[in-house]
Amino acid sequence: MKAALIGAGQIARQHLACLNTLPGVRLAAICDLSPATAEAAAERFAIPAWFTDHRAMLETIRPDVVHVTTPPTSHFRLAMDALEAGAHVIVEKPATSTFEELEILVRRAKDAGRHVVEDYNYIFNHGPQEILRRIETGEFGAVTHVDVLICLDILGPDGFADPNSPHPALNLAGGAIADFLPHLASLSHAFVGPHRSAQTVWSKRKPSLLPFDEFRSVVEAERGTATLGFSASAQPDAFWLRVYGERMQATANLFETRLTFDGPRNVPKPLRPFFSGLEEGRDIRRAALSTLLRKFKGPGAYEGLWECLARTYQGLSAGASLPITGDDVLAVNRMVEAMKPRGTTEMRELRA
Amino acid sequence: MKALVTGANGFLGRHVVNALLARGIEVRAMVRPATRVDALGWPASVDIVRADLRSSRDLVGAFAGVDVLIHLAAVVSGGEDAQFAGTVAGTERLLEAMSGSACRRLVLCSSFSVYDYTAARGVLDETSPLQQTPDVYTRGGYTVAKWWQERVTRRYVEQHGWDLTVLRPGFIWGRGNSYLAALGQQIGRHHVVIGPLTRVPMTHVENCADVFALAAADSRAIGQTLNIVDGPGECVWTYLSDYMRGTGARGWRLPIPHWLASTVVRLAFVTVFRRATKVPAILTPKKFDAMLKPLRFDNRKLRDTLGWTPPLDYQQCLARTYGPVTAPTEAPASWSSGTAASI
Repeated sequence: MKAALIGAGQIARQHLACLNTLPGVRLAAICDLSPATAEAAAERFAIPAWFTDHRAMLETIRPDVVHVTTPPTSHFRLAMDALEAGAHVIVEKPATSTFEELEILVRRAKDAGRHVVEDYNYIFNHGPQEILRRIETGEFGAVTHVDVLICLDILGPDGFADPNSPHPALNLAGGAIADFLPHLASLSHAFVGPHRSAQTVWSKRKPSLLPFDEFRSVVEAERGTATLGFSASAQPDAFWLRVYGERMQATANLFETRLTFDGPRNVPKPLRPFFSGLEEGRDIRRAALSTLLRKFKGPGAYEGLWECLARTYQGLSAGASLPITGDDVLAVNRMVEAMKPRGTTEMRELRA
Repeated sequence: MKALVTGANGFLGRHVVNALLARGIEVRAMVRPATRVDALGWPASVDIVRADLRSSRDLVGAFAGVDVLIHLAAVVSGGEDAQFAGTVAGTERLLEAMSGSACRRLVLCSSFSVYDYTAARGVLDETSPLQQTPDVYTRGGYTVAKWWQERVTRRYVEQHGWDLTVLRPGFIWGRGNSYLAALGQQIGRHHVVIGPLTRVPMTHVENCADVFALAAADSRAIGQTLNIVDGPGECVWTYLSDYMRGTGARGWRLPIPHWLASTVVRLAFVTVFRRATKVPAILTPKKFDAMLKPLRFDNRKLRDTLGWTPPLDYQQCLARTYGPVTAPTEAPASWSSGTAASI
């Protein structure tokens, strides 16, 4: 399959590095508004053609799949043009700025017989996949609740809160945190299904350019409940996923390789915590080593993106179902939409 | 004569502004929008223009009445892509704006890092081999960005027929920025000194700034590419001793012969790390060479072309760096990396 990419920024590097490893996939072209950025990416990843005009690229290359990795407010226009050119679209999250745009995009893809895939990479990390596997086998029991909390310092001057060059994500409803909502919603969707209702608290703990720096949501979903959160102040950085089943519980840090399970044991009940602690300690020590080693080579915390792309291309080339469908994208974004701040009444200044 | 200086409030830029003023050249200083300039102590004659090369839309106006652009701005912190976007795409935007102005003279601040240290032998000077593509992409974000910045600039110059001077400073040091990557590996407050007798390609920030001001004013610099070092450089051991004395830092210094460290790094790279791409810089052979390879350095071409000699000798530089503050209060650069100075 012939792949092309628009937007050669930070996340594009992961897409390009992965595509170069996928069998049957040929990276045909890359496009960026900056000629040097496009050319440098082409040199680095041995891509035969680079462009600064995405329409010229689509016209010349006629790619089978287009990856859209530009800032979020440009996704809709670029993805629509890619569909128009007959390509499937893999778009970074958030797929569009508004839900209305997303509905148009998904409908257009369906009409054209093409796919739109939004990147929910963390679902495909080893931790969530192993938990899903145990759920599938029945070992875990039915999921009752999932808790997802991202602790990430996004208040530094070089990131979202750069006073000199405002980050494009600040234009989204909810500001920088909106950039992370698809991760939270997609994990919730993977474990407890489409949402029915969501209660949210958006707040601001520290002075910065960001409209909000804390977010919490309680979600009632079809198969259980979820609590989702983002904290710019809680340290150290972590991406905690806790899944509660009727037979087991699982804890994972998706920025690392840490994954532990706690469940029934063939020991007297008073001894269960003791043996659980021993096993958890062993698993955490192993994860500490593997987290260190993966820093040297490979995608690191983006392992899920590589897995997601691999499965997506397998599905596309075989004409089979994809790991993320248009219906998944709509369901996840309905949840995102339900969690977005409404006006200013939800904004609370917290005492730091 | 009027000069537009980008990165004017940076570590080097602040001194370049002063050096230009000292030569009677008018200065328009480009700083980022949120920069506080009052602490820099510039006279009222300095014309401040606020812009961010990563995002500002209208840069053409900054060139009004400008005779020479002194382009120092570079992003030296953050990830590789942030450095590339800030330094290279920023340069594209700046030079695109310049192409719509009457300014035709440009002095670019490049870097020693564009040289291929692994291929260099003996003396590293302007004739030494440069990094080539795609090998350059193994050298890390700073090198990739500076290499591409020079590449982009030369393309614009060729397209528009501008007059270009490329200046490539070695390690720039001075007050607040005196710990250099060439000093080896710091572990806590202790130092593993790799190749204690290796010379450091160094230029004190005030000497370096003087070259930029001279190159902007002197037509003999047009069309030239010049390395900037104050001389053959001090030995690592000597410089580190002065650094520790000057800053009051305490700690042990463990000298390791360069050949031994180089052998260990190369062996580990192909065995333990299996040519992994995300190994710490000092454990990556090409980056190890760029920081620590024992080469000789001179500033012969700079002296021959512009008749330049450093205004400050090493002892004066030490006094300026570690002695009592005499100059106007220096505010930290808005994009200071907070890490060892790079070349």
